[in-house]
Amino acid sequence: MSFKIQPEYKGKITKKDLQKVFWRSIPTEHLWNYERMMNVGYTFAMIPILKKLYPKKEDLSAALTRSLEVYNVTPYIITLPEGIATAMEEQNASDPDFDTQSISAVKLAMMGPLSGVGDAFFWGTLRILATGVGTSLAMQGNILGPLLFLIIFDVPHFIIRYVMTFLGYGLGSNVIDKLKKSGIMDKVMEYASIMGIMVVGGMTMSMSKINFITKIGSSKGAQTIQGLLDGIAPGLGVLALFGVMYWMLKKKMNPLLIMLIVLIVSIAGAYFNILGV
Amino acid sequence: MILKTFLIFIVALIGYSDAFTGTSLIQRPLVMGMLTGLVLGDLKDGIIMGGAMELAMVGSVSIGAYIPPDMVSGTILGTALAIQAHADSAAALTLGIPIATIVLALETAIGQPLKLIFVHRIDKNAQDGDTKAIARNMIIGGYAGKLPGLVIVPTAFYFGQHAVTTLLSNMPKFISTGMTIASGLLPALGFAMLAQMIMNKKVAVFFFIGFFMVAYGNLSTTGVALFAALIIIVMYIFVERKDDKKGQDTATETAAGQATEEQGDGFDEF
Repeated sequence: MSFKIQPEYKGKITKKDLQKVFWRSIPTEHLWNYERMMNVGYTFAMIPILKKLYPKKEDLSAALTRSLEVYNVTPYIITLPEGIATAMEEQNASDPDFDTQSISAVKLAMMGPLSGVGDAFFWGTLRILATGVGTSLAMQGNILGPLLFLIIFDVPHFIIRYVMTFLGYGLGSNVIDKLKKSGIMDKVMEYASIMGIMVVGGMTMSMSKINFITKIGSSKGAQTIQGLLDGIAPGLGVLALFGVMYWMLKKKMNPLLIMLIVLIVSIAGAYFNILGV
Repeated sequence: MILKTFLIFIVALIGYSDAFTGTSLIQRPLVMGMLTGLVLGDLKDGIIMGGAMELAMVGSVSIGAYIPPDMVSGTILGTALAIQAHADSAAALTLGIPIATIVLALETAIGQPLKLIFVHRIDKNAQDGDTKAIARNMIIGGYAGKLPGLVIVPTAFYFGQHAVTTLLSNMPKFISTGMTIASGLLPALGFAMLAQMIMNKKVAVFFFIGFFMVAYGNLSTTGVALFAALIIIVMYIFVERKDDKKGQDTATETAAGQATEEQGDGFDEF
């Protein structure tokens, strides 16, 4: 498949304008709200573009109002739809026959697939890597723990955020269709979630701990239930614990309620000497 | 004490600027714990407690309809009060989680409606074409939503120390043991929440691969990630390429030729 992703600046929009979009995309989630989510953050990033493209006040206010509709995507890659919208707004400003609805349509069509890839990569993969490295160092009281945590997450994050602005502008609108049809979006998402879920599996085992200290039989060398479980397969206890948690979440139980249950079970377990440290 | 309370307030302000600085994760317990330890002169314990809190709250990410407990207030107060009472990270967790939950409830009840007032003012600004007012209302509105936390953190820190110290020293043994047990169980909840996000029938098996790699092989997280990357490459080479060939056999020559070329090129570009 061939498409131009290198941005060409043929119209009013310059590289500098896109850099402004990047900087202003940073506080995207600052005014995240239940009603329209990231709408204000999105609009805030687009202001320099809209001001430049629509010198007439009524055009500007129409464009601003259009930008304030519901939007929600993984915040780290919002520059991609913003870049694409920039290209489309530019087209709209110079072409009176342009249908502004198509800007909204493209923007909204990307919410789902982009959030899928973005959440899996940033929340499910990158953050877990950062947390894994960060907590293991922090637990030893090493200051590198929190610092590496931020570096591992934020350096790639800001690079991707920056690159996406120009990629989005270069992609324009018609290429998105091509991407979707070729199935590349799905593939990237699938691979990202494979990596994410494997790391989640590994970290579930290394970070969670459960220890049944009840003894079987009364002789002095009696085995604990935990020892028995570990004899079958190590980690069976943790796996069962994970399964119960997963099942409760699947039953649409509130995570806060589950947290409360865990606290009660833990204290009861300690009181009756079933669970140990 | 006044100075410390003020510094704690600054830490809270930094934490609540997480979204303003690009959802940069500075509100996570790892970072908040470190900063709290720093201003209270006990950096090391702050870092350790932050790490413990991070593990307990690893699944607390705002995705979809789920809004996580307020980690900023939970971590700062949990860590600060535990440090001052010379307690361990289990105590920080015991104190922090209820606080985080209460502050979340307050933010939903008070902060969100406050935010919406500003969102609607911005609608009006847009009609007037007043971009400066949009920016101003966005910045103020965002912090207005965090008002409950910004008030509670310094207040509870200032008044809570004595009460918390007495509470901790009179606590029966099984409760603190129970809390330590809970700090081992809670990460499973966090990971279950994460797994729900990405789990489907196709990838479920990879969860178990990762899990037993650690259970049997005691691999580090980086090790698991490395193997995951290798497996993906293997899948690409053996599964993906094979599919292409099949496509070539069944489809007409011209169409298939195009398809292979398209897929190959597409991946190179990424």
